[in-house]
Amino acid sequence: MMRKLRETMTRDAKNCCVIGLLLMVAMGAVSAPAQSRVEDHTFPALGAPHQRKVEVAWNRFHDHQGIGAILARLHKAFPELTRLHVIGTSSEGRDIWCLEVTARSVGDPDRKPGMYVDGNIHGNEVQAGEVVAYTAWYLCHQYGRLEQVTELLDERVFYLLPSINPDGRDYWFHEPHRASSSRSGLEPTDNDRDGSLDEDDYDDLDGDGYITQMRRKDPQGRYKPHPDYPEYRMVRAKADEFGQYEMLGWEGVDNDADGRINEDGRGGYDLNRNWAYDWQPGYIQYGSKDYPFSQPETRAAADFVFAHPNIAGAQAYHNSGAMILRGPGREGAEMQREDERVMELISERGERMLPYYRSLIGWKDLYTVWGGADDWFYGGRGVVAFTNEMWTRKNLFKKDARPSDTDEAEFIERVLMGDGIVPWRPYDHPTYGPIEIGGLKKEWGRVPPSFLLEEELHRNMAFTLYHADMMPLLRLGPVEVETLAADLFRVWVTVENQRLIPTRTKQDRIHNISPPDIISIAGDDIEVLSAGRVVDRFFKRVEAVKRRPHRVLLETIGGMDAARVQFVVKGRGSYEVTVDSTKGGLLTKTGSLP
Amino acid sequence: MALRRMQLRWWCCLIVMLWMPGLMAGVQAVTYDDYQALSKRLTALKKSEPDLVRVRPIAKSRDQRKLWLVEVGPGGEEDRSVRPAVLVVAGIEGNDLVGSSLALSWLETLVSGYRTDPNVATVLETTTFYVFPRLNPDAAEHFFETPRMETRVDGKPRDDDHDAFIDEDGPDDLNGDGLITWMRVEDEEGRYIPDPNESRLLIEADPLKGEAGRWRYLTEGRDNDGDELWNEDAVGGVNFNRNFPYDHDLFATDAGLHQVSEPPTRALADFVIGHPNIGIILTYGAADNLLKTPKGAAPERRKPMKALDEKDVPLYRVFGELYRETLGLKKELGGASEPGTFSDWMYFHRGRLSLAARPWSPALAVSLAKAGGDPNESSGSEREKRSSKKGGDEPGKEAREELKWFDTHAPEAFHAWTSFDHPDFPNQRVEIGGYAPFARTNPPESMLADLAAKHSRFLTALAGQLPRIGIGRSRCKHVGESVFEVEIHVENRGFLPTVLAHGERSREVHPTRIVMELEAKRFLSGTRTTFLPAIQGSGGTAEVRWTVHVPDRKTIRFEAVSMLAGRVSGVIDLTNTEIHAESRDDAEAERDDD
Repeated sequence: MMRKLRETMTRDAKNCCVIGLLLMVAMGAVSAPAQSRVEDHTFPALGAPHQRKVEVAWNRFHDHQGIGAILARLHKAFPELTRLHVIGTSSEGRDIWCLEVTARSVGDPDRKPGMYVDGNIHGNEVQAGEVVAYTAWYLCHQYGRLEQVTELLDERVFYLLPSINPDGRDYWFHEPHRASSSRSGLEPTDNDRDGSLDEDDYDDLDGDGYITQMRRKDPQGRYKPHPDYPEYRMVRAKADEFGQYEMLGWEGVDNDADGRINEDGRGGYDLNRNWAYDWQPGYIQYGSKDYPFSQPETRAAADFVFAHPNIAGAQAYHNSGAMILRGPGREGAEMQREDERVMELISERGERMLPYYRSLIGWKDLYTVWGGADDWFYGGRGVVAFTNEMWTRKNLFKKDARPSDTDEAEFIERVLMGDGIVPWRPYDHPTYGPIEIGGLKKEWGRVPPSFLLEEELHRNMAFTLYHADMMPLLRLGPVEVETLAADLFRVWVTVENQRLIPTRTKQDRIHNISPPDIISIAGDDIEVLSAGRVVDRFFKRVEAVKRRPHRVLLETIGGMDAARVQFVVKGRGSYEVTVDSTKGGLLTKTGSLP
Repeated sequence: MALRRMQLRWWCCLIVMLWMPGLMAGVQAVTYDDYQALSKRLTALKKSEPDLVRVRPIAKSRDQRKLWLVEVGPGGEEDRSVRPAVLVVAGIEGNDLVGSSLALSWLETLVSGYRTDPNVATVLETTTFYVFPRLNPDAAEHFFETPRMETRVDGKPRDDDHDAFIDEDGPDDLNGDGLITWMRVEDEEGRYIPDPNESRLLIEADPLKGEAGRWRYLTEGRDNDGDELWNEDAVGGVNFNRNFPYDHDLFATDAGLHQVSEPPTRALADFVIGHPNIGIILTYGAADNLLKTPKGAAPERRKPMKALDEKDVPLYRVFGELYRETLGLKKELGGASEPGTFSDWMYFHRGRLSLAARPWSPALAVSLAKAGGDPNESSGSEREKRSSKKGGDEPGKEAREELKWFDTHAPEAFHAWTSFDHPDFPNQRVEIGGYAPFARTNPPESMLADLAAKHSRFLTALAGQLPRIGIGRSRCKHVGESVFEVEIHVENRGFLPTVLAHGERSREVHPTRIVMELEAKRFLSGTRTTFLPAIQGSGGTAEVRWTVHVPDRKTIRFEAVSMLAGRVSGVIDLTNTEIHAESRDDAEAERDDD
């Protein structure tokens, strides 16, 4: 480890010199005092890397190209740690990117236990994209500097997909929206079943880039302005009093003259209901589309996972509500007790790292979801998976209680200096006549303000790195050889799993999802007479295999546990022991018979 | 009124007339065709009526064979996509050759009637037929190859026995007769005993009767991988008719990695999604809901359904009765359901009337043979059959009856048991023989013509059962000044309702709508677009009323659009206060004039 660290530092020092020289050349003409690097005049804070080959401001959001540019810059700056893949294209033809991050010179990248992390499957849940990009940025920069990160990238491979709904992400950034719109992908869909597609979306009537609310003065209205913050909030009138306004819904007109407003917007489905485990059609699960993986975005993600059977952990990022969610998504679905215990342990650790976050079970603590991604990862692929709902407004005043309307208005006025709101302005509506348009901006509510964003990103990443660290980590222990007679030996092989997650979860075993783990022995002058799993190492009880004794199949290698295998071999000379575990990796050890 | 009654009668007559024999002239012999022969026949079919028949591939098989789609109906794509449509899917299970032959024979009959039979011409001009004659040609090709081996799957590599080897132990033609048949091995660990009444058949030993098994019953082959299991990991793959989302058995060996995972199933799924005019589907395969009408139940809100909506069952019963009558059965036989079938998906998720036919089985052959004497003396459900095999009063009775039928009608189907010196079973009696591959799923070729004639009548009759909308009794009243009251009755002149109960629940069959070509401001009551409830068949109507203020024109055009029952347009003549329907061509011509 020390040797590697030193090497890395030397390499960094060299890079620094090169960059410094380049900078000097570039700035040669200017005789300004700041000829040296930013790092020379700043002092590192703990947390984010200080020496930055790729500078990113993590207190703002990036559109799809912006996120892609971060990945591309990282790939260019850290070619020895990254591969940049295009795993598919969206409905509108945007590339879906995956940055593969691992120490490529240490071990075979394809055989390391893999951590899959995606974000932003709901287009409007934008910080979910940043957290995945931040993870890539952090891992690349801290490799060789922090021992934990170095070990993670030596032992594991990260598949980081910041936005698997790039259409929805860009649509939210570049078109008028509200906090909760642009959740869908953008394949045209006939939501109101009138034979036309996407013909009546919201309309940004006042042209301010936001979809806000419409209100109309009405003596019988049920709403009135907030008494203390009239410009920020509308509140319901008391049951026994008249209000002053009628609320008319989100900004829009009846584009298709069918007597309804905003009833068939662009897209109109939910990519996180389109996965192939416990999938149900639209009349049971809204937005699930025609069949599992019918959409190019989910199909690309699934094909990528099928092509990477080493994936042993999965994380999806969403907003909001401060939750670490796990399956099942519906009552009565499969969840093996043994696997649930592992997930509980990991998410309880997450609750410690993520203030206000709660460890929850989808159907029980939130709502029923059929065909969600985390259910497919666990139920369909046997992979330990979580969904994090990032950000809660409890952060506004750092209180455990959910902030009231008044608290939120106070925060907008005193902390955001009024940013976050569109003041009410009059508008002449073709159907409603004189109305007013205004209300909360799309950035309010579901995404953090700039100064709280970086904290969300780092803490959530830390949880995912812990999850990744808990993936199976196999070590081949000493190979013990006992001489039974001339040229006849009993060989014991011990394989340790040094982490919490087994090589194959119970769900995986029950349904034979991954191949079994295989422990084998081979040598030029060796014949294997008998073999089996050691079930009691003191009484030397062995479950002998019926056939092919050179190759013992194990159902799993448990978390924080070891598996032992006995080979009875005849012969002499050198041997090689191999452990081939789809999710635990490929290990070999050689030795010689005495 | 008179007109309507006449039209209803016209459809009834048509169904009766199509029943008449003698429409078979000019049709090729009914045979089992390999891929090349099938393709040639389809080309010939297309050439015989190039303006009526289109043949195109919609995907390719693993072995690069084309998956043909036949579209029958005059006019362009647009015309065909508007007409009510019947979809027939055959050969979706690889061993279903008979379904392919029936579908092809029917197509040839139908097309040959286009110029010779005015009734057939009318059916063809008012209906679109979509036919997938063989969706799994690779598996079907095994029938024509040596050795002949029966399989339902597509040949995609798969580790069926979870030993981390793929397709390493399939059957072998040990006796070199070109057929993969069966082996019986005398072995005291076997579970079978010879049937005391029929030495060629084995029955399961019943330990409760003190019977000890003496024979093993295996498919013909060697233990190629030395694991003491025979033919346990043959070339595997996906049975396309187990790959659809309703009741999909995710972890079954033949179900695919997920729902709609294979290019052929995806092509079929996307085709039906793109052709919502399909109102009746018939799928040939192992599942059957025609020999016995399935039971229904009241669906529970937001829960996956386990049975047909009870409101739709009477319709299914009508089709079952028609089918059995056509075949010459007077009683229900056993039905059969399978997980993940295309037919169930089309009903349970897509809301269409979806029929499934197992066109031939030994049990059906036995029943039909008996129909001469005491019809349907022996029937009983599949479950009863299974329990009788397991040790009812007469174990093996059905199997003996079936063998007797084969002895009489197709003696070549059963191969006498002949002893074989099997290397895996030294010093044990091994015999090879039993039913030839495909013999129990496909009738002898000589019997195809009779079966095809019956299916041909049934399939053509399906066109008469589709829903078809028209304009019924309607009225226009001048109430003063330029104000008119308009009342239009939309009528269903077909048999099925415009939407099944489950079509409405599933929301996949969109409501019939009537659209007036008049600006929104002209309506004093009613709206431009009106959605109609389900309109029952056999003359059911839905009434729509408007009050309109039209000072500046003499006519109002309107269109009624149904997803399954076609489209009809009409004109309200305000001058004469008359309403009349117009054909599509008239409407288009007039529109061009505008």
